[in-house]
Amino acid sequence: MVRRRRRRSNIKGSSINEYYDYSLLFITFFLVCFGLIMIYSTSSYVAQRDFNDAAKFLKGQAIAAVLGAIAMIIVSRIDYRILRRKFKKFNINIAMLLYIVCVFLQVFVLFFGVESHGKKRWINLGFTTFQPSELSKVAMIIFMAYLIQKAPRTLDTIAGFLLCFFIGLFIIVPIAIANLSTAIIVAAIVVGICFVASRKTWYYYVFIAFAGVAVAAYIFLGSQSYRAERIAVWQNVETEPKGYQILQGLYAIASGGLFGTQLGESKQKLGFIPEAHNDMIFTVICEELGLFGAVSLMLLFVLLLYRILIIGLNAQDLFGSLICVGVFVHIAVQVILNIAVVTNSVPSTGVPLPFISYGGTSVSILMAEIGVVLSVSNQMKTTKTKESN
Amino acid sequence: MNKFRTYNKRKYVLVLGIISFVMCALVGRLIYLMVYKADYYGDGAIEVRERERKIKARRGSIKDRNGVVLASNKSVCTVSVIYSQITDKEKVISVLSKELAMNESDIRKRVEKISSIEKIKSNVDKVVADRIRNYNMDGVMIDEDYKRTYPFNDLASTVLGFTGSDNQGIIGLEVKYDKYLKGKEGIILTTTTANGIELDKEAERRVEPEEGYNVITSLDYNIQKYAQYLAEKAKEEKRAKSVKITVMNPNNGEIYAMVNVPEFNLNEPYEYNGDKSIYETSNITDKNNLLNDMWRNKTISDTYEPGSTFKIVTAASAFEEGVLKVEDRFNCPGYKVVEDRRIRCHKVGGHGAEDFRQGIMNSCNPVFIDVGLRLTPKKMYSYYKKLGLFNKTGIDIPGEANSIMHKVENIKAVEQATMAFGQSIQITPLQLLVAVSAVVNGGEIVTPHFVTDIVDEEGTSIETFRYSNKNNVVTSETSSIMKELLEAVVAEGTGNKAYVEGLRIGGKTATSEKLPRRTGRYISSFLGVMPINNPQIIAIVLIDEPVGVYYGGTIATPIIANLFKNIANNGNSSLIMLE
Repeated sequence: MVRRRRRRSNIKGSSINEYYDYSLLFITFFLVCFGLIMIYSTSSYVAQRDFNDAAKFLKGQAIAAVLGAIAMIIVSRIDYRILRRKFKKFNINIAMLLYIVCVFLQVFVLFFGVESHGKKRWINLGFTTFQPSELSKVAMIIFMAYLIQKAPRTLDTIAGFLLCFFIGLFIIVPIAIANLSTAIIVAAIVVGICFVASRKTWYYYVFIAFAGVAVAAYIFLGSQSYRAERIAVWQNVETEPKGYQILQGLYAIASGGLFGTQLGESKQKLGFIPEAHNDMIFTVICEELGLFGAVSLMLLFVLLLYRILIIGLNAQDLFGSLICVGVFVHIAVQVILNIAVVTNSVPSTGVPLPFISYGGTSVSILMAEIGVVLSVSNQMKTTKTKESN
Repeated sequence: MNKFRTYNKRKYVLVLGIISFVMCALVGRLIYLMVYKADYYGDGAIEVRERERKIKARRGSIKDRNGVVLASNKSVCTVSVIYSQITDKEKVISVLSKELAMNESDIRKRVEKISSIEKIKSNVDKVVADRIRNYNMDGVMIDEDYKRTYPFNDLASTVLGFTGSDNQGIIGLEVKYDKYLKGKEGIILTTTTANGIELDKEAERRVEPEEGYNVITSLDYNIQKYAQYLAEKAKEEKRAKSVKITVMNPNNGEIYAMVNVPEFNLNEPYEYNGDKSIYETSNITDKNNLLNDMWRNKTISDTYEPGSTFKIVTAASAFEEGVLKVEDRFNCPGYKVVEDRRIRCHKVGGHGAEDFRQGIMNSCNPVFIDVGLRLTPKKMYSYYKKLGLFNKTGIDIPGEANSIMHKVENIKAVEQATMAFGQSIQITPLQLLVAVSAVVNGGEIVTPHFVTDIVDEEGTSIETFRYSNKNNVVTSETSSIMKELLEAVVAEGTGNKAYVEGLRIGGKTATSEKLPRRTGRYISSFLGVMPINNPQIIAIVLIDEPVGVYYGGTIATPIIANLFKNIANNGNSSLIMLE
């Protein structure tokens, strides 16, 4: 049965001129390569100083990028619909399995995770460390898309939406305990997929209004907690000692001017911005490439998002379409949050810049995600045009 | 499937719209930061990165007329910390607070401040700095620099003045000639990494310092030192509040010595030289007042009633006006009634019949009341004015006071009578010195001054100062008569204790009763000129509130005699042409 169906699709694909979104592939490669250049630029000084190897961070990231690229190509050539196929023996499909595994991993990491920067977020695999929350984002995208395409009419009521959100909480809550910003991203993915899939609009506004009130209450009432301190830092970045990193980032951004100090010439990366190759990498891009370079990068992200949406709009089925929405929300929220944080537009929280920031798990899984989107694009048939002809 | 596509598409567009809107807002934020706020944060970035090291310029020396160095520099150190290089913060804080004897919280504040370099303390002694250096602490930087030093501690303290922590002049010549002395600070600007490592490829911006010029004064170390010795001796013997001596060249205004005892130690200018117990128990404002009082050059900034020395001015005015001759006869019954007031002579029984020559020799008040009343107040003031008594002398250190005189329309006979022997007016000792100089030098008002030349380190002249003179304020005839009379005062009159075998000294004594009267507080003074036939040196001594014998002729006159004898014997032939 399985074999036959695949063969049939193969025959169909070759005969009806399969589509493959090369522009998305190209933009992704471009972003990743640009990221590698910027990681070398930002980290070489510190790497040379601390590890006596200027390319240390570049090498780690490059290996992850190559693995990610391989995964992306392979995934893009596999029909994404395999994800919702049931294993007959266990009465379970890959989307669900992935979700359950991620719930388990998120709980596991809370107790047995490896600490880094004071946070238990990593699992030690022996040869490398792995951040399960990155995988959880993918799992959430696929699982939500799967869930909703099974019964899209559920979302016509607010109860249906809340049910979806409740299911999402199994992953969101364990993540939120260790890492609020990632939890926000995952929650945004859930809400985004539901929003696009639903025929209704109004209750999302109610939901967002409630969320806004909750955030505002959190800011103004929770003055004692650790995160409330971040808000104080955000408002007085120049005087609060903990605003040091953000302030140094602002110095870098402001030093850039229109066209920057040229690639490699940043001064702020020389140890002033702690871990400039991580979440703060955008500030060094601003310093070295100026407003022009920064806006170009943002336009590139918008272009990437636009391609993903186009694929989603033309996807073969609702499942593929909603996967694209999930990936779209994931990348969009991360880009926006990252830039908003480093420009001190919102309180500081650790969100990496997709494809650019240092982080092996992040970049390889993001590339795999793009692979899934490419797979969706690959299944787009030009049947319509054929039929109309 | 097409069923959901329509609303689905709308939602897609909506999501893309929201994302685009937020992106645009972020671009706006970036433009705000990178264009509008660029200078603000950009400067902050440079401030964090650029390490500015000042190279202090060596401050010029102050020298006396013979090249004796009165103020110079010694090598000291500035201790700074570099935030990003500190590895053991607590050790740095505890060591620095111990070695520099500074408050631990003050040091902590500076150590924890995020800046590329933060100064902890300057003017640290080299021994202490070497000790700190031996701890080998990361992030502690020690820069050598200069500290002002005064080899003779309290010599001419109120004249020379001292400098503050940044080597800037605070009082005296140090502040008046600051622009010549200070030179120009040099700067090294280097761009550093966060760890304070300087970047090689960044061109180091370096501005070389320019050394300050040397200031050559007219002070004479030997005279100054001896005058101070005499003043200190007198102060101790007479348990006086203070003793002032000024020695000047009456022909050009060059000041050889200016002593204000008690002097203070220029190397420790914030150490009170008076009663320590009063100082310690005072509050901050009072402490400051005490220090300011200690630093004040009272010879130029305090006025007093000159008393009988002022009779020189009265006599010279009367001679100039032609209303007085040396042979004029007077009678002193011990007092003189002016209008309803009975003004007493210092000699209770009176001097009896005497001519003017005997009157000035006796310093007889009734004689001078008589002479003074021969001029109208207006005429009198015009002579005061000619003799510079209404103007500041223009001496080249800050803080000079002016005289306090009656308004001319308020002068009645009583005022005029008292003014004639130096009461009810207030002038500075320096103003008197200038006026008398004009009387004895043939009628020339000089500008008293300390500094004659500015030279660079090699001795090349940078600037030579010319001070204005005013000629013919008294005629040479009057000058000759006055010199002859002043010599008589010393030879046979009240100033006879200033008589020195072989020296021709002229002068006038004074004993001024301080206000309020009848409290037993006096200023005893003597003003001497040598050699009187060809004046080369004029000197005045004031003993403030002596205990016991307070007559100027008894206690002040010997001081000047002693000083003149010393100047003459020590072969200061460059100063005096002995006959």
